[in-house]
Amino acid sequence: MRGKLVTRDSSHVNGNMEIAYEGGVRVVALDIEHVTAGYAGHEVLRGMTMQVQQGEFVVLIGPNGCGKSTLLKTASGLLRPSAGCVRLFGRDVSGLKPGERARLLGVVPQKVESPMAYTVAEIVMNGRTGASMPWQGLKDEDYVIMERAMIYTNVLSLADRYFTVLSGGEQQRVILAMVLAQEPQMIMLDESISHLDINHRYEVLRILRRMNREHGLTVVLVSHDLTLSSEIADRMILMHEGVVRASGLAHEVLCADILSRVYDCELLVQHDALTGTVNVSGVLDGTGPGGQVSRSVHVVAGGGTGIELYRRLGVYGFRVTTGVLNRMDSDAEAARALGIEAVLDLPFSAISTEAAAAASRLACQADVVVLAPVPFGSGNLVNLDILRSALQCGKEVWIADGVAERDYTEGKAAAAVAAELVVAGARLWSSAHELLLELRKSEK
Amino acid sequence: MIRGRRKDVEPTVLLGVTSVAGSRVALFLVLVPLLLAGSLLMGPSGIGLPDLDSPVGAAILNLRFSRMVMGMLVGSALSVSGVVFQAILRNPLAEPYVLGVSGGAGLGAAVAILFGAVAAVPLSLPVSAFISAVLTLVLVYWMASRGSGGAPSVYSLILSGVIVSAICSSVIMFLVSTASAEGLHNVIWWMLGNLQPVALEQRVLAAVLIGLGFMVTWMLAMRFNALTLGREMAHYQGMNADLVIFAGLLAATLMAATAVSIGGMIGFVGLIVPHVTRAMFGPDHRLLVPLSAVAGGVFLVLCDAFARTVFAPVEMPVGVITALVGGPFFLLILQRKMKHAWVA
Repeated sequence: MRGKLVTRDSSHVNGNMEIAYEGGVRVVALDIEHVTAGYAGHEVLRGMTMQVQQGEFVVLIGPNGCGKSTLLKTASGLLRPSAGCVRLFGRDVSGLKPGERARLLGVVPQKVESPMAYTVAEIVMNGRTGASMPWQGLKDEDYVIMERAMIYTNVLSLADRYFTVLSGGEQQRVILAMVLAQEPQMIMLDESISHLDINHRYEVLRILRRMNREHGLTVVLVSHDLTLSSEIADRMILMHEGVVRASGLAHEVLCADILSRVYDCELLVQHDALTGTVNVSGVLDGTGPGGQVSRSVHVVAGGGTGIELYRRLGVYGFRVTTGVLNRMDSDAEAARALGIEAVLDLPFSAISTEAAAAASRLACQADVVVLAPVPFGSGNLVNLDILRSALQCGKEVWIADGVAERDYTEGKAAAAVAAELVVAGARLWSSAHELLLELRKSEK
Repeated sequence: MIRGRRKDVEPTVLLGVTSVAGSRVALFLVLVPLLLAGSLLMGPSGIGLPDLDSPVGAAILNLRFSRMVMGMLVGSALSVSGVVFQAILRNPLAEPYVLGVSGGAGLGAAVAILFGAVAAVPLSLPVSAFISAVLTLVLVYWMASRGSGGAPSVYSLILSGVIVSAICSSVIMFLVSTASAEGLHNVIWWMLGNLQPVALEQRVLAAVLIGLGFMVTWMLAMRFNALTLGREMAHYQGMNADLVIFAGLLAATLMAATAVSIGGMIGFVGLIVPHVTRAMFGPDHRLLVPLSAVAGGVFLVLCDAFARTVFAPVEMPVGVITALVGGPFFLLILQRKMKHAWVA
């Protein structure tokens, strides 16, 4: 092997998979450098940079669609980055031969299925594919390695059973055995344990931790279970929108401030002084610990921009009214479905002054008036008058930021009115999550 | 890495090598020569060894032997090809003709027969069938890869194959419907498949091509195992999945096209023999590839012996017999053993 940074003791045949560090220097196992990657037409990783040291146990977290799976595919050379460089143990991944790559990195995907009825041993055998040339068969060593991997994962007794009849936990251990049979230096798991029950989840984690502590196996675990991750990780990496948002010890990454912003919802973070673990939980009871919310909010929306607000405000116990909306508009449909009081006007037509007046009365009865990120044309410009009259009634008014960008009226009339309203005391919001925090704060 | 110490370590168990399969394989391999010998005893001239002292008897045995060789070649090519297609496409309905090989070869043959090339130029029938089959694969693969940016997905391959096959069939039907009665008879007869021995050089060439395809397939056997877990997982396990898929499709098509060019479009073998072999011996391709080659060959040889004997002196097209006789027999096996082959 070029590089000679990692040498493997020949004694590993005897069950000792120790990895020696030359000169005691730790090696960068995975080096992602300014990587941009994705699928036809849209980038998922956007100039991402991160490193994993050899022997580290890293847990990668982040909301759905933040690019974790794409990162795994890029790191394993399955997906070619459009910019940047991916190195495994100092070597460019695109230059690695498939067999070499398999000895450096093993990947456990979310789900592995074969349509054919393989036995457990036959499944594990696949782990030795990369180690043998097409014209060679399996050698004695290969069987020794398979056997050892199956002992580590406690599946040797299942060897002759059919893979598909096993339980989820057993299947996951078999897949782990298959990947360990590659004898990789690093292993990446893509949410592979999320669907397991707590017993089997910890069983897999114990195996991983043991391989990590005793044999120096570098582990990168993608997980959605923040609390569990904090227990096991040497280091956590938080991904968001294709870049690393935070990296460090569990208590540094798992803080309510960062998490709430990344996951765009309210989260409670509690530190357990006894075990040192961090407990992250969502908020089920929308009213939170502060007691009942009785305040009402009038939402000015249209074209589907209000749905998210209706839902969230409802969840948090606000009484919601809305209008003016055109009938058959998706917001009107949503309001009807959610049982929200709404002022409606004719479909696909300009808002009448009568309707606007009715909505203004509704807005003056509410405590707060919120403008959704609705685009403006000449037809719904009148909606801004509702905000103006609410301000005059002394109500709290929130305007979704960036009116100018969605202003299609002649001469940017809506933007001008919005600016005037801000001067008159309206406030701006950009994230629904933060808006809700503000609304609940001002309530107390 | 660990050479030099090899002698010290021996696996306590050879995982995945089960004794049940072992004894079954041994029994099967003992049976094969007996069945092949049996096929030599059957023919339209009667059941039993012909009189070898007479020149007629020697010629008869010689002819039966040639047909046996043809059957072995075509049968093993088709069934190994089916194994490969079922593994790569991860689909139990896949067979050698799924990517349009039959449609392409049929079209080539129909053109050669109907436009008189067969009568004029020797070897023009197998050559045109072979070339048009390979061209069809190239066309299907190219169509399926467009839009996916690189290697085609399994589904686009299957769909393109089905569409191209349908187009080819329509063109064949058009040509046949406008042809003379004699041309029509020739085309239909060819399409039903038969194992009349072709010229010796042609047989040798076919054996070389099929042998080549078989060697490639057998070498990739372990990689086919990994491929059934999906292209992604196969990639993670240290193989160039796209290359293996491409090489496998090419080898399988080469075998199928060669088989079609000398034996016509014999159906059923390539679909069912892989299934039955898998049901009997398990889905490990290291065993499945060679065993299905033997099984496919023997099956077709027996069907041919049956086809030329039972209705003697009329000879049935072997393609008719394969499904008619083999169908119920294999259904019986599959019913009892399917759980050893595919996941329910």
